[in-house]
Amino acid sequence: MTVRSRPTSPHLQIYRWTITMAMSIAHRATGIANYVGSALLVLWLAAAAIGPEPLNVVNAIYGSWFGQLVLFAYSRSLFHHMLGGLRHFVWDFIEMMEPGQREAIARANLVASIALTLLVWTVFVWVR
Amino acid sequence: MREQVITGDIIADPKTKYGDAKASTRHFITQRVTGAINVLFIGLLVFIVVRSAGQDRADMVALIGNGFIGIPFAVLLAIVTVHMRNGMRDTLEDYLSGATYRLAMLLNTLFCLAVGLAGVVSILKLVFWG
Repeated sequence: MTVRSRPTSPHLQIYRWTITMAMSIAHRATGIANYVGSALLVLWLAAAAIGPEPLNVVNAIYGSWFGQLVLFAYSRSLFHHMLGGLRHFVWDFIEMMEPGQREAIARANLVASIALTLLVWTVFVWVR
Repeated sequence: MREQVITGDIIADPKTKYGDAKASTRHFITQRVTGAINVLFIGLLVFIVVRSAGQDRADMVALIGNGFIGIPFAVLLAIVTVHMRNGMRDTLEDYLSGATYRLAMLLNTLFCLAVGLAGVVSILKLVFWG
């Protein structure tokens, strides 16, 4: 019996770009961003544990316009990844997998992560 | 399984397995369980950051130093590092193999350990020693 080679996947750029594909990539990208970003959180906690001087330095860096920009991106990344994880939970129960549904839930992921980030920053940072 | 260089012949052979054949189911379940718990972490994180971002040390001790906030935060942060290591393993398995994979996985473990230890020790310092 001859064994035929199993088909291999064509390269990424062969496919038509879809929202589910983009959100899959975004889920991994935000996961990696959160991985790196966790160092920012721990740096802040460690500075607070060590003493007032290191904490003032960290507060000054995080409070600068660039620091705020990075923290905004980090929070957006965290929310996006969280909502992406919840979307995967839905899919784990074989729900929302039909054509149209899966695109809708992926699009909702994108919109909700932007809305949630803006909501949190508006309510707790900008307006407070 | 990770020792060999992945060639077209290996991909064509249905008997070869990818990922960690003995542990992938566990990795999957671990990722789902820790991921679900991480929703709680995000909630607590937002609460803590909103209350104490930019505040001086005394305010942070008053908030995180409260054991009912600090201890759960430390536990959840430790769980986050498990999710981080597991998720990065997924990525590394996709792009690396053999010795490169093992080296990257070692660095991954060390980074997650460092983040977890530094975070938990810092929080416990705030809780028990102010």
